[in-house]
Amino acid sequence: MTAATAPDAGALVVTAWSAVSAFGMGSAAFRDGVSRQRDAVTAVDLDEFPGPFERAGLIPGFSPTGHLGAKGTRNMDRLTAIAVSTVGQLVREYGGEVTEDPERVGLVLGTGSGSVQSIMDFTRDSLVGEKPYHVDPAKFPNTVMNKATAQSAIWHGIKGPNTTIAGDWLTGLLALSYAVRLCRAGHCDRVLVGAVEEYSTQRAWLEWHAGAAGDRAPALGEGGAIFLVEPVDVAARAGRTPLASVLATRFMAAATTAQAGETLADCVRAALRQAGVAPARVRVVAPAAADGGLGSLESAAITEVLGETDARWVRCRPLLGDASAVSTAFQLAAALGEPLGRDEVALVTGIDRDGAVGCAVLGGGTTS
Amino acid sequence: MGEPHGFADRRRVVITGLGVVTSIGVGVREFLAGLRTGRSGAKPITSFRTEGYAYATGCEITDFDPGQWVENTDPARLGRASQFSAAAARMAVVDSGMSPQRLRELRTLVSVGTTDGESRDLDTLAVQQVEHGPENLDQVFARRATANRLATSAVRELALTNVEAVTIPTACAAGNYAIGNGVDAIRAGDVDVALVGGVDALCRKTFAGFYRLGAMAPAVCQPFDLDRKGILTGEGAGLLFLESLDSALARGARVYAEVLGYGLNCDANSPVAPDQTSLARCMQLAHRNAGIKPDDVDFISAHGTGTRANDKTEVGAIREAFPTPPPTISIKGMLGHTMGAASALATAGCALAITEGFIPPTINHEATDPECGLDCVPNTAREAEVDVVQNNSLAFGGNNAVVVLGRLRDVA
Repeated sequence: MTAATAPDAGALVVTAWSAVSAFGMGSAAFRDGVSRQRDAVTAVDLDEFPGPFERAGLIPGFSPTGHLGAKGTRNMDRLTAIAVSTVGQLVREYGGEVTEDPERVGLVLGTGSGSVQSIMDFTRDSLVGEKPYHVDPAKFPNTVMNKATAQSAIWHGIKGPNTTIAGDWLTGLLALSYAVRLCRAGHCDRVLVGAVEEYSTQRAWLEWHAGAAGDRAPALGEGGAIFLVEPVDVAARAGRTPLASVLATRFMAAATTAQAGETLADCVRAALRQAGVAPARVRVVAPAAADGGLGSLESAAITEVLGETDARWVRCRPLLGDASAVSTAFQLAAALGEPLGRDEVALVTGIDRDGAVGCAVLGGGTTS
Repeated sequence: MGEPHGFADRRRVVITGLGVVTSIGVGVREFLAGLRTGRSGAKPITSFRTEGYAYATGCEITDFDPGQWVENTDPARLGRASQFSAAAARMAVVDSGMSPQRLRELRTLVSVGTTDGESRDLDTLAVQQVEHGPENLDQVFARRATANRLATSAVRELALTNVEAVTIPTACAAGNYAIGNGVDAIRAGDVDVALVGGVDALCRKTFAGFYRLGAMAPAVCQPFDLDRKGILTGEGAGLLFLESLDSALARGARVYAEVLGYGLNCDANSPVAPDQTSLARCMQLAHRNAGIKPDDVDFISAHGTGTRANDKTEVGAIREAFPTPPPTISIKGMLGHTMGAASALATAGCALAITEGFIPPTINHEATDPECGLDCVPNTAREAEVDVVQNNSLAFGGNNAVVVLGRLRDVA
């Protein structure tokens, strides 16, 4: 915690995180991939994932049964398996106490539109079958967008508030904002918050057509990132050391995407003001770094607010692909992977395709 | 049990505007008339082809013209659920009496729950795939089919800039989840105004799924009835305009009700079957958050889907949480199961019940199932002084959310 943001007992801190991505399973692989700037976008097996993309940032060798075993995975789709694995990764890395007192633990996960593969496959079965109701009832819950979050709670026995969040490329930041609010309001003592996204043929085709970029469409990514957020006093009682404090999240909406840059600048200024932090204290910047115009607008806006700065810029999207709903959650993980001293803060930003913008301000250093 | 962080100095939250799009009426006045008179929205489904089903009845909205309600939106660029959302958002603001200019000066949260997002468009895209191949999808549909559009379409319609826009796809309890988010945001002082609720449009995918599960009623939805046969799928939107009590008093706004509190939990048990004890626990969490006792509740607006399993389990949970259960109704007899909109529309109905002094009826009721056995206010609305109402919702995945509303009292 930084001195200038002297924490009250209820200040919220991140005490653990993990990620599942094209870098591999777990936080160490993620941190290593970002720090070495390893390009993890590789060739797609077009037998497994037919579609318009030949390259993507896929989790190496991932499959539901391969990672979670045969039991309970027969009807599990890739998105839910990524979610269950991501939560499991955190539990494995930090120990079971993370989910102790399960009625007081919240789980908040972001998603794009659930699994569009599961949803559209189900409709397709209804269209091409002999009867329109010749669909697999065991797969119906996969078509409901809260499935990944709910199944993660079932798998890991987490009984507090269980919420699914959707917000396009801002999803990870919106999930963090929601989770902070939930925890502050006392609905849980601590909250596991993150986002998940799957690579699938259906998602690939939808992104391909929506982007209208044809051959210029950027490679897609997938994975999950998860953070344990709790009040500093709860963390202290459990003996968990804060990695960063959540000083502020902020969101705005531009009237047109052309104005997204100036709106993001306003949003970042408001977030820093809310956090009580001068721009000069920003030492790490983790932007969404989208290809093309939005990425340029974003970096110009950040530079405008921070002025002359030698802050470290961490970009994971060029390494992992466009990970849609998990994009900003990957950025949060990348920021947490950077060393951040007392009085230093990290800024994580995003712009979505509908002109909405958002950011988070994380305070570095830990209490002594 | 210690008090939650910020409990003591939190701001009070009131509902000052309602925007509703339903199969029993579009707009507050028609919705209220429907609730009072026990109107039914059931009719043969026309939203998609229903050949091959033995029956296909739903609570479809057939008289919704988005152009009549929206000002800044080209409806053709939005999916049906986003059209509902934009229209309901505009209605809620008009109903609140706050000028759009004033609203744009304030810090706002738009929090919209849903089960299916724009799955209606995903259905259409699946049809295009089957007929023309995946290389030939309509770009307009591919762009507008994402769930986040439910929230951002309301933002665009109202031309908001200082706004956090989030869609909460927590299935059939999503409306109450989204309302809770707004309540906490205002209590904490994060925002001045919150537009919150739920939205869904009828879709082929969900109809096929519930039909295949044997959960679909042939003609009518009969919550708590001995002869109940399941749900009818419905559609619509319910958005509430929330602000702090101080804000409402300062501008002399009409207050429908105060949101006293809410509770959330997760069964963490079955992907589809509800859990009685866990649901009872959620009601207790809501009571504690609202600072009320079970005896304070004048009626319960149940999830009440009309399936055998839901109604029996839900009533069992009510008996666990209430020494003497109050009248317990379900508006799904009238509206069908509007999925992510359901609990938001029910909350809007509860607010109107408080303001107008009545309990909405459970229609299509012939004989109460002894396994349910509560006073479900059968068929005819009941005049009553209503001070505190509890609104239940539960979802696939064991996601429970219970909201408590109260008549505005103790105003300094």
